[in-house]
Amino acid sequence: MPADKTAIRADIEAMLRAVLGDFGTDLPIELDSTFREDLGMESLDVVSLAGRLQSRYGDSVNFAQFVAGLDVSSMAELEVGDLVDFVTRSLDVVPAVS
Amino acid sequence: MTLVRVNGVALHVAELPPAGGNGPEPATVVLVHGMAGDNMASWYLTMAHPLAENGMRVLLHDLRGHGRSERPARGYALDDFVDDLEGLLVHWGVAGRVHLFGNSFGATVAFAYALRHPDRVAGIVAIDSAPPIPEWFARMKTRLSQAGAGPGPAGRSPAFTRRLRAVQLLLSETSIAAELPASRLPGPAEFAALSCPVLCLYGRDSRVRELAGRTEGLLPQTRSIVLDGAGHSVLIERSAEVRGHVTAWLRDTAPFVTTGSEGERHG
Repeated sequence: MPADKTAIRADIEAMLRAVLGDFGTDLPIELDSTFREDLGMESLDVVSLAGRLQSRYGDSVNFAQFVAGLDVSSMAELEVGDLVDFVTRSLDVVPAVS
Repeated sequence: MTLVRVNGVALHVAELPPAGGNGPEPATVVLVHGMAGDNMASWYLTMAHPLAENGMRVLLHDLRGHGRSERPARGYALDDFVDDLEGLLVHWGVAGRVHLFGNSFGATVAFAYALRHPDRVAGIVAIDSAPPIPEWFARMKTRLSQAGAGPGPAGRSPAFTRRLRAVQLLLSETSIAAELPASRLPGPAEFAALSCPVLCLYGRDSRVRELAGRTEGLLPQTRSIVLDGAGHSVLIERSAEVRGHVTAWLRDTAPFVTTGSEGERHG
């Protein structure tokens, strides 16, 4: 069954609001919002987001793969939609275990 | 976010389990970040996941006064940072030898821990750093007296502004600038007792590299590698090369680690 992109987007938006705390309450979070400029995330926020992804999706979403090969500047340009797409693809390719 | 109270201070910690699960005794590495401005993210976003995928249990923390850890007003001598590391190893239940990788001052904490507990450390990776020696602490004293007084935030990114603010708070609300340079430093006999493998990586353009000869004199087992066209921030700016050198060094030094940990088992 293909992963439900709408549900994943809602999941990720909730994670981002949790990571951003009070700062994120009224912030619009769109698919084209950039992590660094639009959401004002710093590197420790990314660490916190990675922990939440791990808790929610386990090993099926490999955050290392998501950030691998990104240098500091391309990391800053990442958009929320990039992460939603990555998680959707990751969950799609995980075969049923049992 | 996980906070652990150690020595009366709440420390922010993170852990990545080894790929393939925790075996009976997985190789363990603690990644220690640098002073002021730095936090666990510099390791987390560069080396932490590759090391976990290589089968290591990876442990990280924000040093006291840094990142998301508590910022007590006092307690910033080198031994305080070493005590925190020791307390965390107990919390994590790490038995046997552990690898310690440090970025800048983080490696100094790693060396200091190893000098106090030479039989607990499997190996040290130091990124543009030096062991606890007077020359290095004199430099840090100068850096601490100048830090936070740099160019203002005008025209800089919000992330840069927040980082500068964190440095200013550390310097204005704690006694780190006075306490750290006055730290007790180990003597020659302690260095002579430390035999674990050491890898030192330097940026060619970093002035820290001037101390490489001193480190090699005190710890002759050191493998030193200089990355051309790089400055002090080699971990962030040259992550892929750092990964390659660390992986090769781990492979080359594996026999020592095996012998070392077996030597500690007493049935």
